[in-house]
Amino acid sequence: MTARREDPVLTSSRREAILVLLIWLVACTYSIGVCYAWGYGRDAATLTYIFGFPDWVFWGVIVPWTVCTALALILGSFVVTDDDLGEEQAEVDLSPAPQEADRA
Amino acid sequence: MLSTLLIAQATTTADKLPGWGAIIALGLFIAASVWLGMLAQRVVERSQFIQGYFQGNRGLGPWAIALTATVQSGGTFMGFPSLVYTYGWIVALWIGSYMVVPITGFALLGKRVAQISRRTGAVTVPDLFRARFASPTAGLVCSLLIIVFMTIMMLAQFKAGATVMKEAWPLAVASSPAGATGPTWWPSQWPYLVGLVVFSLAVVGYTAIGGFLAAVWTDLLQSVMMFAGVTVLACLVLTKAGGLEAGTKRAIEHAGPQFATGPGLKVQKDAEGNIQEIAFLPLTMAFSMFVFWPFAGTANPASVVRVMACKNTAVLRRSIFLLAIYNMGIYLPLIAICICGRGLMPDLGKESDAIVPRLALSLTEGIPLGSWLSGLILAAPFGAIMATVSCFLLVIASGLVRDVYQRFLNPAATEYELRRLTYVTMALIGLIAMLLNINPVEKLQMLVTFSSGCAASAFLVPTAMMCYWRRATAGGVISAMLAGSATAFSLNMAGLVISIVNKSGFVPYNLLGFEPIVWGLAVSLLAGITASLLTAPPDEKLVSKLFDAPEPA
Repeated sequence: MTARREDPVLTSSRREAILVLLIWLVACTYSIGVCYAWGYGRDAATLTYIFGFPDWVFWGVIVPWTVCTALALILGSFVVTDDDLGEEQAEVDLSPAPQEADRA
Repeated sequence: MLSTLLIAQATTTADKLPGWGAIIALGLFIAASVWLGMLAQRVVERSQFIQGYFQGNRGLGPWAIALTATVQSGGTFMGFPSLVYTYGWIVALWIGSYMVVPITGFALLGKRVAQISRRTGAVTVPDLFRARFASPTAGLVCSLLIIVFMTIMMLAQFKAGATVMKEAWPLAVASSPAGATGPTWWPSQWPYLVGLVVFSLAVVGYTAIGGFLAAVWTDLLQSVMMFAGVTVLACLVLTKAGGLEAGTKRAIEHAGPQFATGPGLKVQKDAEGNIQEIAFLPLTMAFSMFVFWPFAGTANPASVVRVMACKNTAVLRRSIFLLAIYNMGIYLPLIAICICGRGLMPDLGKESDAIVPRLALSLTEGIPLGSWLSGLILAAPFGAIMATVSCFLLVIASGLVRDVYQRFLNPAATEYELRRLTYVTMALIGLIAMLLNINPVEKLQMLVTFSSGCAASAFLVPTAMMCYWRRATAGGVISAMLAGSATAFSLNMAGLVISIVNKSGFVPYNLLGFEPIVWGLAVSLLAGITASLLTAPPDEKLVSKLFDAPEPA
C-alpha cells in the first residue's frame, strides 16, 4: 500500500464490479437451477402456462429477466456513482527509452 | 450489431417475392447511412484526425452507447430465431443470460476503462494496454490479435449482406437454389454479385467518410429499426396464433413434447450416417452460455472502444437501463414469434433460418402498407450486417494505421499521411473482402462463430487485470491474451477437424461438455496471474498514476 489515497473512481468501480459479478452468479445459479429442476425431462402434458409461458420458463427465465431489468434500473439510477473521469491527458511517449516492464 | 440475429432469416429464398417494399427499404437504408456518414465527417473535420475519426472525440451519449456498444459478431447470432424454431422453449434458457448483459457490459469495466483511456490519452484498445503497462509489446500483441479475429468476423458478413440484397430483389430471376455458391458465373448469380458490389461500396464508403461516428450512428439507426420491426411482427404473430399458450400447444403438435421442455432434442448424424439423438442444452452448456453472452460482449474490443468514447459516467449509467429495456423488448418477443412460428409454419425443415422473413411476408399480406412493413422487417438484418461490418472495418483500420503503422513503422507520420493511409487501408480491406466473397468459402462462415469466443478469451481477463490489479505486469497480460485465445482457438479448431473427418456440421469441441470460452477464460486467468507474479513488479510510479487519487493541485 502506498501512503496516497486510492483513486475514488477505482474504489467505486471495484465495488460496482463485485456487485455485478454477484448478480451474475445469482442469476446464473437461479435460472439454470429452476429450469433444470422443473423443465428438464418434464412430461409436457403436466405443463401449466403462466401468461402463455410454460411454467418453468416463466419462473426460470422471465421472472429473473424482469428482476434483472429492475436491478439494472436501480443500479443505473442509485448505485453506480457519477465520477469525474478527469481531463483528456496527452499520451506518454514510450519510444525513446523502453521501460523495464517491457522485458516480457 | 447486437441485433444481427436476423441475418440468416433473410438469406434464404422465400416462396413469395418480397415486392418492391423490401428493395426500396434497403435503398433508403443505404441512403440514410451515407447521409449519416457525411454528417459524421463534418464533426471529424473540426477535430484532430486520429482522435476524431477513430474515437468521435469522446462524445457518445447514452443511446449511442446503450444500443451499439455490447456488440456481438453477427455470426454468433445468426441462427437464434432458427434455434427457437427448431428446439423450442429451451432456447429461452440458452439466450437467458442476456438478462445480465446490460450490467456486465457497462458496470463491470466501463467506468475504469473510460477513466484510464482519458488519463493515458488512449484512442484504441491496444493504446490502453500500451500506456497502462508502458509496454509497446503488449500493445502490439493486442493489436495483432484484434486484427486477426476481427478480420475473420468481418469477412463472412459480406456474404450475408450481399445475400440479403439478392433476396430482396423483387423480380424473378432464373431461380437459383438457395445456397448455390458454386464457382460458376451463371446468370442466376448476378443478383448476388450486384448485391455484393453495392453492399461493399456502401459500407466501405460511409465508414471511410465518417469514421467512428458514422459507424455508431448507423448502428443506432438499425437498432431502432430492428426494435420497431420485432414489435410489429410480435403483434401480428401473437394475434394470428391466438396467444402464446395456444401457439405453444400448436407447436407441440408438430414438433413433439420436447419442444416445451428441457434439454431440447437435437438430431444429428454420426460418422456412419446413423441418426443420433442428443440433448441440445445439457447442464454444462447451459452454464457455458451463461458465461458466453455476458462476457463475450463485455470484452470485445469493438465494445471497449465505444465505452472509451462515452461522454461521462452519467452516460454509462443511463446506458445500463436503456439496454436493459431494449434487450427485454427484443429477445422475449423474438422467442415468442419463433415459438408461434413453428405452429404457424411447421414445415420449414432445413429452411428454418427463413422463419422470420417468411412470417413477415405472409402475415403482412393483405394489410395496408404490407409490402412496406415486410420491407422494414427485411431491412433490419441488412442494417445490422452493415453496422457490424463498418464497426469491424474501423477497428481493423485503426489497428493497422494507428497501432502498427504510426506506432512502429512511421511515428513521425503527419495527419495528412495518416488520413490518406486510412482511406487506402479501408478501400483495400473492402476490396479483398469483396473478392473473397465472390465465391465464398463455406467454412469461412463457421470461423465467425468462434472468433467472437476467441476474442473474449483473449481480452476479458487482461482488461480486468488492467483495470483492477496493481501488481499486473506487461508479461502477465501478454500471457493472458495469448494463452486465452490459443486455448479457445485450438478447441474450436479441434471441433472443425472433427466435423471434417465425420463429415458432420461444425460444432466446437466442448471439452468435458463446456464451451471453449469457459476454458479460454480459465486458462487466461491462470496464465495472467502466474506470469504477473513471476515477472518483476511494475514501476510504482506508473501504477500510482492510474490507481491513486490525483495529487491535489
